[in-house]
Amino acid sequence: MSELREVISTGNELSAIAAVDAGCTFFGGYPLTPSSEIMHVCSDLLPKVGGASIQMEDEIAGICCVIGASMSGVRALTATSGPGVSLKAENLGLAQMAEVPMVLVNVMRGGPSTGLPTRVSQGDIKQASNPSHGDYRSITLCAGNLAECYTEVVRAFNLADRFMQPVIVLTDETLGHMHGKAMLPTQEEVAAGIVLRKKFEGAPEDYRPYECEATEPAVLNPMFEGYRYHFTGLHHDAMGFPTEEIETCRKLIQRLEDKVMAHQDEIELNEEFMMDDLNGEEGEVLIVAYGSVSLAAKEAIRHLRADGIKAGLFRPITIWPSPAKRIKEVTSVTKNVLCVELNIRQYTEEIERASGRLDLEGLYKVNGRAISPYEIVEKVKEVF
Amino acid sequence: MAAMVAPENTPVWVDTARCKACDICVDSCPAGVLSMQQEPTSTLGAMISVIAPDSCIGCNECELVCPDFAIYVAEKKEFKFAKLVDTSKARQEAIANNGYRIPTDYKEAN
Amino acid sequence: MAFNYDKYLRLEKMPTLWCWGCGDGVILKSFIRAVDKLGISQDDMCVVSGIGCSGRFSSYVDFNTVHTTHGRTVAYATGIKLANPDKYVVCVAGDGDALAIGGNHTIHACRRNIDITFIIINNFIYGLTNSQTSPTTPQGMWTVTQKVGNIDPTFDACKLAIASGASFVGRETVNSPKKMEKLIVQALEHKGFSFVELNSNCHINLGRKNKMQSAMANLDWIDSITVSKKKYDAMTPEEQLNLLPTGILKQDKEVREYCDMYEDIKKVHQGQRAKITQDDFVKKI
Repeated sequence: MSELREVISTGNELSAIAAVDAGCTFFGGYPLTPSSEIMHVCSDLLPKVGGASIQMEDEIAGICCVIGASMSGVRALTATSGPGVSLKAENLGLAQMAEVPMVLVNVMRGGPSTGLPTRVSQGDIKQASNPSHGDYRSITLCAGNLAECYTEVVRAFNLADRFMQPVIVLTDETLGHMHGKAMLPTQEEVAAGIVLRKKFEGAPEDYRPYECEATEPAVLNPMFEGYRYHFTGLHHDAMGFPTEEIETCRKLIQRLEDKVMAHQDEIELNEEFMMDDLNGEEGEVLIVAYGSVSLAAKEAIRHLRADGIKAGLFRPITIWPSPAKRIKEVTSVTKNVLCVELNIRQYTEEIERASGRLDLEGLYKVNGRAISPYEIVEKVKEVF
Repeated sequence: MAAMVAPENTPVWVDTARCKACDICVDSCPAGVLSMQQEPTSTLGAMISVIAPDSCIGCNECELVCPDFAIYVAEKKEFKFAKLVDTSKARQEAIANNGYRIPTDYKEAN
Repeated sequence: MAFNYDKYLRLEKMPTLWCWGCGDGVILKSFIRAVDKLGISQDDMCVVSGIGCSGRFSSYVDFNTVHTTHGRTVAYATGIKLANPDKYVVCVAGDGDALAIGGNHTIHACRRNIDITFIIINNFIYGLTNSQTSPTTPQGMWTVTQKVGNIDPTFDACKLAIASGASFVGRETVNSPKKMEKLIVQALEHKGFSFVELNSNCHINLGRKNKMQSAMANLDWIDSITVSKKKYDAMTPEEQLNLLPTGILKQDKEVREYCDMYEDIKKVHQGQRAKITQDDFVKKI
């Protein structure tokens, strides 16, 4: 285990610090509660390291300038909440289609629409799986504690450059505004772990940015370095120019899907908390939860075990693509499964799909308040 | 690159692969140098043609107004351009009044 | 030797997909001439275009090029420029892209005065999508969304740019390629937001059902609605009502450019200068 340092901060501040430590030099965005602090912190940290941070005129301009900066070759970040993701949807699609890496932090709040700006929810799970129109294979990570508000943003930047597409990091109002202690990897360790996007080093006339293996992303060199090509949201050929050619179009969309799905092992990350002794006996309980809810779930599990109930938590950290195979495995072992989310069954439906089971119990809350460990304990005792 | 180099002793030349027969260069010429002609294989059924190169005064208007990089004019030092004379003006008027095509029975005034 | 356009063109994309006689091609030529005149290296130039016929501009030029979503051209360009302040960033967008869906971004790019050259190709219609009304389509003209006659009022894009704070605003038309070239040169040289409206002919969409089916008729109409700034300024409001002035309409070389001001922010954070206060600005509101 590498050396950790203790930092006392809020989730939002940690997300901003993580971006800078991960080599991000550009932030663009717009104020939206409860994510605004990320922009406030970036506005101080980025110019210090020679980068740039800009508050644009609206959410859409916020993501567009980030995509533009990333097209030019830098690591770029935007942060928002649910309504902002809705506004950014079209341009997330362009970044996905043109294979432009970037990180979007969504500090989830009560929705839909204006919803509950200062209160928590996990209501943007389904949206994150396809925020834009058309086929969109999302990479979405979900921070489950303060430290992950930092480490998941770092991981997001590396995944974005590896897979050449936007990566969404979900946190929520609880974590974003939670002020507490986080044990973080050192800045040196983070810096050593930075894996930047691939670059083509050959002659410019041999460069074909969008001509790649069927399960690999595009290789997009920074602008202004002698490699001139084209970015577009239209279907495009090897140099990025618009085309409608039948095979080219089919191969492109299929590759955007396969470049992620063929390498899920590089993306999947779960936490299996107190699941070691779950082996299918009567009365065992598996809780599935993610994000800040998992904090309450872990505390609930300690109470349940103290009361003689063997309970464990399966926590996906990479939400999309979902860890379908592992979900099937763990839900095949334990009969009693309780899904807990701050929405109405958004991820439960994915657990049902992956597990093949329609008999999962659920605890759902959509009033902008957190779920307490007590509520989870009571629910388990009520339904199982 | 070939399009840019002036053919021997030529004031104005065209790239028929690029021309879309929009008529603008013919309209812009003051000296009756250019005309559209019938060309069944081209999209609008017409194609640009340099019909009176010796009348070219080298004003460069046709090159400036062509949207398709289809017409080029030699530099002053590469060709001895003509002066704008009445016969050229008359020819241009006839072309412009005939749908930008030189009338088939056009006779040059002397 | 004629002027070497081919050096700057992506030859495999020729001929352009623009209609026969479309002024966009003339603007493309003027732009290339301007870039060549200034000796700008192809690697130092980024051209960002929007959606529409004018949006295809970026795929024809051999620079670093981007084709964005509708209306967001200058927002993308702001990111590219702020991350690379020493490079040339040029936007090309149509009247719909820049003034309708992109209106907000246009206004704020003008306000910021960031060193981008924004070329609006105004052909007074939505061309690519077949003749819908644009914010500059004259009232009473036929459009496909108002086939019994357009009632939507228009606005003057250059006036909008001036009011929003652009430090260089100019207008020319495709009837004057050399003047367009000169204006683009001046816009590229200007350090600040350069708003350049270039009026183009769309005889296929605007002209076809508005008695201007030929390129020449449409070009004549553009001639009839434009006049030099010098003559315009001497006219009465009644005379000015149906005319657009051409030439440089505003140039302010004193106002500071955005990236330049952002350098000050970097200096504050790096401990090289004191905090920025109202005393640093002539304008206090």
